[in-house]
Amino acid sequence: MTSLTDNLLLEQMGQGDVASFEAIFHQHYDRVYGLLFRLLGNRAEAEDVTQEVFLKLHDYAFNRRFFQRNREHNLGAWLYRTATNAGYNAIRGRQRRWQRNTLLVPDPQGLPGADKEVEQRERETAVRQTLAQLPERDTQLLLMRQMGFSYAECAEAVGVAPSSVGTLLARAAAAFKQAYEEVNGER
Amino acid sequence: MSEDKQVQEVMARLAILEPTEAEAPRPARLAFARLQAELAPPERPNWLARLGQQLLAPQRRLATAVSLAVVLLVVSFSFPAVRAAASDFLGLFRVEKFAAIEITPEQMAILRQAAEQDIMPGELEVDKEPGLLTPVDSLSKAATVTGLTAVYTIPALGQPDEIFVASGGNGHFTINEANTRRLLEAANLDPNLLPDGLDGARIAVATYSGVEQRWADGTTLLQTNSPEVAYPENLDPALMGEALLQILGLSPLEAQRLASQIDWTSTLLLPIPSNIATYEEMTVNGSSAIGLTSLDNRIHMLIWQENGRLYLLAGAQSTAELAALANDMQ
Repeated sequence: MTSLTDNLLLEQMGQGDVASFEAIFHQHYDRVYGLLFRLLGNRAEAEDVTQEVFLKLHDYAFNRRFFQRNREHNLGAWLYRTATNAGYNAIRGRQRRWQRNTLLVPDPQGLPGADKEVEQRERETAVRQTLAQLPERDTQLLLMRQMGFSYAECAEAVGVAPSSVGTLLARAAAAFKQAYEEVNGER
Repeated sequence: MSEDKQVQEVMARLAILEPTEAEAPRPARLAFARLQAELAPPERPNWLARLGQQLLAPQRRLATAVSLAVVLLVVSFSFPAVRAAASDFLGLFRVEKFAAIEITPEQMAILRQAAEQDIMPGELEVDKEPGLLTPVDSLSKAATVTGLTAVYTIPALGQPDEIFVASGGNGHFTINEANTRRLLEAANLDPNLLPDGLDGARIAVATYSGVEQRWADGTTLLQTNSPEVAYPENLDPALMGEALLQILGLSPLEAQRLASQIDWTSTLLLPIPSNIATYEEMTVNGSSAIGLTSLDNRIHMLIWQENGRLYLLAGAQSTAELAALANDMQ
């Protein structure tokens, strides 16, 4: 996930090179958005939080804090972990307006899926509510794997050995299945 | 590796969360434009303010410093009294000394207004972009890469934590006479301040490879051979300088008096916005230098030229302390 190109771009960014920041943005934007959309289910909100993640990267890298705190220059891991955290923060923001059991339900304001069938939306809601019951790391791992990240990339992002990913995924899947049944049982 | 069946089932369940076509992100270039707008300062300062901010920015870059020198030089020579053909490049300007001049926020506001009208006094074309900063592991390597005969350092600070090199660049500026006069008018100056015959005059600028050293305490030393500006042969640098001083806010009388005291073929004028920094004239190893201090007293900078080389030393130390360090360079 953190390629040689990423490292080089990051180094150059740390030296104030704006073009490198733009290159990193173009390289990772779609996937960061993809992760956040799956988490939040709302295009506008996912775009806002994606922007927030890259603003944070801009601030960290140009102020050289990234290098002080991330000696390994693990850009991918940092980006997707930060995105997950920012996504959960956005969800917690909703908590002030919503009841806890709707934490991962898309904010109805500005919902883009007005054309979606009601039944489909209910299924999405059930999946997001289920994810809300899981620890952040499990959610991140499941979503990244579903998006096509390799085991090595998942391992790097959550900070475990690649050999552990299979076990962790299996546990997360079991937890998801159990929580999904509970959520649907309550519905 | 085959994934366990339960994982595959969950993956299939999660697939429902994938964005549809309508939910796909906007093109990254649009998202990046939005991000840039967020990053942009609320008020876009004019070129003078931007230069001032660059001069005093905590993260200085060699490329910035060199570009800054180029811009200052180009601007300095944007208003020459020339009647020469565009291809005549007989005069040569090389930075040997510095002169600072205070520019007030009021005058900056006037210039900002003029800049907002997008009146460009000419066109700057970069023939060769200055290179990006590249880290090197030793001063001797830096000397080899840049071709500098010796790279000076400050022994009192110990080994630099980081050393970078960057190659120089070159370009040329072609004057647009009509726009230059409009710009003068927009800045509340007499458009006839400059004589006829400016249109198409070409000024060439060349910068050279340089070295940047950084220490853990934030002290930064830049060095590069002095940039050069070649200009049409019958340019009257004193007349040009006089016009520039008026643009920076001096009265016609003050501008005439000061312009006559400056050697415009070797003196780089540094306009210092008075709401950003103060300046003082200093001496480093017998050469004249300009010391700059940000108004919050947190950033200090020293600029000087010695034996054909331009130096910029910046840090949290006072300008007097920076001068003492500069005097001990080896």
